[in-house]
Amino acid sequence: MDVLDQLGAVRERKLSRRRFAKGLLAAGVAMTTMPLPARRAMAAEGDQATYFTWGGYDIPELFKPYQAKNGALPNFAIFGGSEEALTKMRGGFVVDVSHPCNQSMPRWVQTGLFQPIDTSRVSNWGDVIPELVDLPGNDAEGGKVWMAPFDWGQTSVTYRTDLFELEGEETWDMLWDARYAGQLGSLASGGDAWWCGAIKAGVDFDDIDSEEAFEKIAAVMREQRPLIRVYTDDTTTLEQALAAGEMVASMTWNSSAVLLQAEGVPVKFAKPKEGALTWVCGVMIHKDAPNLDRAYDVIDSLLSVETGHFMINDWGYGHSNRKSFDAFDEETLAGLGLSTQPVEILQAGHFQQPQTQEWETRMNELFEQIKAGF
Amino acid sequence: MSAGTYIRRPNRALQVYAVIFLIVLYVPVLFIPLFSFNDAVHVRFPLKGFTLQWYTELWSRQALWNSLWNSVRVGLVVSVLSTVLGVMAARSITRYRMRGKGPLVGFIMMPLVIPGIIFGVALLVLLSRMGVPLSLYTVGLGHLIICMPFAVATLLPRFEGFDPAMEEASADLGENGWWTFWRVTFPMVMPGIVASLLLTFTISFDEFIMAFFLTGTDPTLPMYIWGQLRFPKEFPSVLAMASLILFISFVLVFIAQWVGRMGLDTEDLGVPDT
Amino acid sequence: MAETSLSKSRTARGAPRAFGARLTRYLRRSETARGYLLMSPTLLIMTIGIVVPFIILLVISMWTRQGFSFDTTLTLANYARAWNEPIYGALLARSFWISGVATVATVALCYPMAYYVAFHVHRNKMMWLILMTLPFWTSYLLRVFAWKVILGYEGVINSGLSAVGLIDAPLAFLLYSPSAVIITLAHAWAAFAILPLYVSLEKIDKSLLEAATDLGDGPVARFLRITLPLSMPGIIAASFLIFIPTTGDYITPALLGGPDGAMIGNLIQVQFGAVNNWPMGATLSIVLMLWIAALALAFLLVTCKVQERIA
Repeated sequence: MDVLDQLGAVRERKLSRRRFAKGLLAAGVAMTTMPLPARRAMAAEGDQATYFTWGGYDIPELFKPYQAKNGALPNFAIFGGSEEALTKMRGGFVVDVSHPCNQSMPRWVQTGLFQPIDTSRVSNWGDVIPELVDLPGNDAEGGKVWMAPFDWGQTSVTYRTDLFELEGEETWDMLWDARYAGQLGSLASGGDAWWCGAIKAGVDFDDIDSEEAFEKIAAVMREQRPLIRVYTDDTTTLEQALAAGEMVASMTWNSSAVLLQAEGVPVKFAKPKEGALTWVCGVMIHKDAPNLDRAYDVIDSLLSVETGHFMINDWGYGHSNRKSFDAFDEETLAGLGLSTQPVEILQAGHFQQPQTQEWETRMNELFEQIKAGF
Repeated sequence: MSAGTYIRRPNRALQVYAVIFLIVLYVPVLFIPLFSFNDAVHVRFPLKGFTLQWYTELWSRQALWNSLWNSVRVGLVVSVLSTVLGVMAARSITRYRMRGKGPLVGFIMMPLVIPGIIFGVALLVLLSRMGVPLSLYTVGLGHLIICMPFAVATLLPRFEGFDPAMEEASADLGENGWWTFWRVTFPMVMPGIVASLLLTFTISFDEFIMAFFLTGTDPTLPMYIWGQLRFPKEFPSVLAMASLILFISFVLVFIAQWVGRMGLDTEDLGVPDT
Repeated sequence: MAETSLSKSRTARGAPRAFGARLTRYLRRSETARGYLLMSPTLLIMTIGIVVPFIILLVISMWTRQGFSFDTTLTLANYARAWNEPIYGALLARSFWISGVATVATVALCYPMAYYVAFHVHRNKMMWLILMTLPFWTSYLLRVFAWKVILGYEGVINSGLSAVGLIDAPLAFLLYSPSAVIITLAHAWAAFAILPLYVSLEKIDKSLLEAATDLGDGPVARFLRITLPLSMPGIIAASFLIFIPTTGDYITPALLGGPDGAMIGNLIQVQFGAVNNWPMGATLSIVLMLWIAALALAFLLVTCKVQERIA
């Protein structure tokens, strides 16, 4: 076979064998010894809890209380979407704590891979906003809960106030505006985009699993597809495109608008007249969690006021601890699209509703096809 | 041998082409160090200013170091294992007159002609059916499979050019098998072994497509970088790390050249030494 | 050597002596057996890593997804879907088109370079080879990302062109298009073209070229009659080494392709992620593999025919 012959033939026939050997040997020794100093400060990390989370939540700022107590950060495993995470765990991947969102929680519970949370072991539990705990599917025997709420926020339109000529009120139609064909962006996961499509199509979330809803939403998504420059879950890409003026409007989470505003980019996180999409994410404990005590430390750390300040201030997300909001005045919070009365915001938005696995698969499959142009 | 006269003549057009080629080859890569010194979070033009901030920040990025260390560990284990297995395969292929040698070599080379995603998927399916949890070991297994063809292809020519009379002589002198291998065979195939170690280490160190499917809790460096692509704040320190790796590998190759040159100035590289 | 120590250990292990002795004799006699014995660890690993996963992949491709688990009745329904629904065929065709263009471009652009090093560089050839392969020591992901910076809206090309005054508004089509994917793939895989091309060119006996010149061939005729046909193995090797892995790539299209640049690899990947339909993902993998095998065979046949005609 020629391919093999050729590959192997990058042999040293054309140079001195000894010289080649020496050179490679030197390189080899150096290569293998070089990265060893990188081992510093890596002792005993195996004892820490493993937190399976969205990329970007693996930062020390969220784990100061944990670090203070345990002397190190938890281990992180990263996923790009909650379906991917569930798939991996169903494949036998064991972690201590994972980070789903409310709409997938019942399906996660159904897998039998998780254990209810003993709230008496979470010191910050008393300050958690009760509306966030009281979600469909979040009730187990004996007053325990499956998912401890952690972060919440909205999916809406971030647009350039200087480049996007608003006609009337802020609305989801902005992302269907043919004037800006090729200058609009969208999140790639169906978990956000499909639900926003439902709001745009006027589908009630209660009926989102009907045949008619599928047809209506698919139709608006197909209509939007030629206008979209890129579908991505990579928020950096969307933020950079908005900052550059490559896009004039995009579907994003709160944090993108907050980050861009902090950089002085004239953007606004729209409050669409149809309502934004509201989501709540939280943490669940794996049934075979190898470091259960530390798992509770992770949860406590995430629910702490300290972490909440960071979430609100730097990312513009809501936090599940009521007290986290106390440090901010009404004006600051309003600027972030939040409020001293977080419940109001929650109730004003469209809440995602849990769906069956069949629905998820069908929706994702259809949305993938639409994104590919079919 | 002396090449023909006209071939020795320099070809101006080709020279220009070669220079342009190298520029195009290098420019995209050199943007990585360029932006690692740029005083802005977002990777875009124009450059803002010079900073070493991302390099100092590097020290506090524990997760980054962990993933680097994971990659190094996997790379070392994979390179050693695939080279040992490659030596066994190359030796049996060249030493013995075996039936079915052709198809066998073809079988080992198969990973070269199958896209990585298919291997990743196939191994993921197998491991999850067997209930094997994903870990650095599973990543290592995946890398081992794709490194085998490269190890064998690098080692085979070495063993082929090897004179069995040497081994026979050693055996005649009463040395036993392993001793003969260690004293006679091994030194002669050493360059091939080192080349194979380096090549397989590099492949494993940079592999992403299979690692994507097979990684468990511990990310390899490419997996970590993939995660950070989404998060602008973390990204400049990834660029800084990449620049360091780039710099170190450049230096290494040059040291290798320099060490190789010592005491061998008389030999001309261009001439085959057989 | 190995066989002596091996026979020792066999007998020493206290296995039935007669059997051990017979085995030793057999091993001494049969080179094939000894060869396979030495190779067995390698073969074992490769079997575990290749054969077993592929059998499972084949089996799963005939299952169907059912909620969280699989319906294990064997059926060809997934294959029927892959055949009937236009998206699969279209993405497959697009993947082959993108990879094909990238392969041709890479080989065509690298050929003069390999030719230059093989024929016109006389000192420090190794230096040149190292220089050409050094960029490939950097992370593939970061190289892809670097292209995003170059082709981007505020990227190098756009800011360069507008600084010179050639364009007023940035060219949006550079990024998020199949051409962005092609450019990036061609750059990323250049080393895989240069090395085989270089080796095959280097192998050419220079005296053949002298002879052709003596017979009155000009440079072009000489190239077409001698150099090109003799470097054909290198061209074929390079084409395979680039075409095959790139058809399954999903990172480059995901980062640079935009909605119109998605390839079959992206579709396979989402089957194992968001869509969560492993059987369909397995089916698509197998379909992709079969197509690659068919295309590779066709390519080999054609080049053989062409070579025969030239010769």
